[in-house]
Amino acid sequence: MQNTAQQKVVNYRKPSVGRTLVQNRTLIFMCLPAILFFFVFSYLPMPGAYIAFTNFQYNKGIFASPFVGLKNFQFLFSSGQLGLLLKNTVLYNLAFIILGNILQLAFAIMLNEVASKGYKKTAQSIMFLPYFISDVLVSLLVYNLINYDFGFISHLVRNLGGEMPKVYQNAGAWPFIIVLVHLWKSTGYGTVVYFAAITGMDSSMMEAAQIDGANAWQRIRYITLPTLKPTVIILFLFAIGGILKGNFGLFYNLVGNNSMLFKTTDIIETYVYRSMMNSFNFSQSSAVGLFQSVVGFFIVLGANAFVKHLDPDYALF
Amino acid sequence: MKKLLAVFLTLAMLLSIMPAVAESAIDTSEHVKIVYLVTGDKPTNRTDEVLAKINELLTEKINAELEFRWIEWTDWQTQYNLALATQSGDIDLIGTATDWLDAWPNCQKGAFMPLSEDMLKTYAPMTWESVSEAHWNLCKYNGEIYLIPEDNYAQWTNHGFMYRGDWAKEAGLENGVHSWEDLGKYFAWIKENKPDVVPWDANGNGSSYSPQMAGGWQTSHTGNIAIEGFPVAIFYGESKENPYTLSRYYLEGDELVNFAKEMKAWADAGYWRADVLNYTGDVVAEMEEGKTGAHQHHTQTWTTERTTMERKQPGSDLGFFWFGEEAGNLISLNITHGAMAIAAQSKNPERALMVYDLMRNDPEIYHLMQYGFEGDMYTVDENGLFSRPDGFEDSTDGVSFNFWWGRNDNLEYKNAQLDWDAITKLYDVYNQVKIDYPYGQYIYDNSMVGPMMDSLSNVYNTYMPRIVFGMNDDPEALVAEFRQALQDAGIETVMAEIQSQMDAVYAK
Repeated sequence: MQNTAQQKVVNYRKPSVGRTLVQNRTLIFMCLPAILFFFVFSYLPMPGAYIAFTNFQYNKGIFASPFVGLKNFQFLFSSGQLGLLLKNTVLYNLAFIILGNILQLAFAIMLNEVASKGYKKTAQSIMFLPYFISDVLVSLLVYNLINYDFGFISHLVRNLGGEMPKVYQNAGAWPFIIVLVHLWKSTGYGTVVYFAAITGMDSSMMEAAQIDGANAWQRIRYITLPTLKPTVIILFLFAIGGILKGNFGLFYNLVGNNSMLFKTTDIIETYVYRSMMNSFNFSQSSAVGLFQSVVGFFIVLGANAFVKHLDPDYALF
Repeated sequence: MKKLLAVFLTLAMLLSIMPAVAESAIDTSEHVKIVYLVTGDKPTNRTDEVLAKINELLTEKINAELEFRWIEWTDWQTQYNLALATQSGDIDLIGTATDWLDAWPNCQKGAFMPLSEDMLKTYAPMTWESVSEAHWNLCKYNGEIYLIPEDNYAQWTNHGFMYRGDWAKEAGLENGVHSWEDLGKYFAWIKENKPDVVPWDANGNGSSYSPQMAGGWQTSHTGNIAIEGFPVAIFYGESKENPYTLSRYYLEGDELVNFAKEMKAWADAGYWRADVLNYTGDVVAEMEEGKTGAHQHHTQTWTTERTTMERKQPGSDLGFFWFGEEAGNLISLNITHGAMAIAAQSKNPERALMVYDLMRNDPEIYHLMQYGFEGDMYTVDENGLFSRPDGFEDSTDGVSFNFWWGRNDNLEYKNAQLDWDAITKLYDVYNQVKIDYPYGQYIYDNSMVGPMMDSLSNVYNTYMPRIVFGMNDDPEALVAEFRQALQDAGIETVMAEIQSQMDAVYAK
């Protein structure tokens, strides 16, 4: 008997690709839409990135346009603004990622602790709603709240005898406003993701802990949070890849062409938009996008290696 | 006998050629759809009805029909350029302009089809005849014609301020506003006497005020002449005596500082809202409701707005203060302020030209397009003035082809409802001082200093709104900072390049 078992182990070979495909055909079939999506929208257009190295001519197309090497990248580096833009873009994204995740986790756990099912559902929906409001409307809301002459808050402050600051002329206030608006918009969405992860937890662990006398804090600290760790790390890794990409819609709508605020609100996207709005240069804007993507790619690799170093189980690849 | 034979043979040869000639006549056997790219919001009025009628006529005459492709006003610059860049034979006729629709940069990027003289003569004969050789020359790039100019239509699109004549009188400006100083007095009076009115409610978000206001002060206080076709509005010729030397107005001198100081004073006095740079309201509607006292736009807008205002605010006597008035500095409209081009990828360029030729020159089609159905939608009196029926609302009853690329004064009717006395009075003043646009033959080539031009564009868009709307603590320091930033971005190199390009065209 022992002999045959050993025989089996010796005979074990890595299954061939074809065999794997056949064996997991149902799973792969289920993945197909996602695979197709990324193939069509992310991989097929990749050769088009070549446009960043050309002087694009409409009538010749991307590949027949004259090749100009790295000339299109020059614009970003020669402007002298890159330092400020990188700083703003990265700091805002860090604030979004860190604060966002903390808030989302906190709300997901709180929701989980709420017993009333009706309240849970209502709270979830209401928190989710801002996610669907377009940035254009959000910017109007913000303007109508805080503009100096006729804003709602301005009126309130004045009626209470206070002095309303001219927010739209004060660059220092905007990091707070933008982060606040972003959190207001995105927290509900992220909360649902974490909440789903919590709901998927094995409830027998919770019951066991309860029987052993763990209180709510202890359950959260020793069961919920450790269970969520992989989810947090994966979401973090996904987010970090886009750390050089700003949310153009949010920034452009809130700030617009108000150059009083650029010092604290100008990100790569808005700068590029402003500089190229008039010259309409596809090649240069693609060069900027390519630069962001390549840097983002290496940041993901770096972050993944770092996570792997800490705990290989949590790394993406 | 020999002679007779020769004649006979010649005749026979001629006859054999004849069918060939007949065959080379235009083949319109295939019915085609010509797509017309035009800026404007998709109309909600009777345009479709009129288009159906026009298509009937077009089918009958040249077996073609017209279809609109609207570039709506929301984000129009981006959408327009994008449509040109991504064309794949889906558009044929393109309404364009060298000053406000980037015709030359788009031409350099290969968006338009070169139009040979033969093509124009064959497929747009009426237009070919009506445009002079000098005008065709202004539509050439690298020796080929790319644009068909709107060169037989009198209009003025020079910018300035519309103001209310009734309030100006009360403010002690008997003859109205005719200088920046008057304008300041006018605003001050409104601020003092009309607490609910914003003297000038501007929606500064659409950064277009920067070039208008800064350039407005500049042309009012110097002889500088704006050169079109740059991504940044800081390139001006010195004066009409010396047009081909670039002005250094934005780099040195006191006038820009004076402007910044004055606008700072106006901002502090509250002539516009404190958050003007983020305001996006409908300021024309506000003026019509009496909530603001001025509107910054051009003469052509004023001619119709004056009538609208008279209806909505009776006695308002809307006047127009034009930029350059103090210095008598006025440039006629460039003939390519409106022009038609054929898309580079068009599959039916011949038929597109034929359609354009009829749009521009066929009285029946032209009148349908510009005014709608006669009798039903308008009437023409014996003086050639047209009137709309009572209760006519353009947004529901009118027709909008937005045909700003080939209007034709030979076929135009004047609008009986406009105040022609006031308009003619202003045009007479214009005609006394105007000079022709001196740079019609110069097309800027961006390939040498492109990245620097983009940096300049950013510098301008960063500083100019703050100068224009007085959003600063120290205007003098801000102007100095702006000038330094221009230097850092390479303005000297760019100006040297432009100067040399211009010298190549207008060799001294």
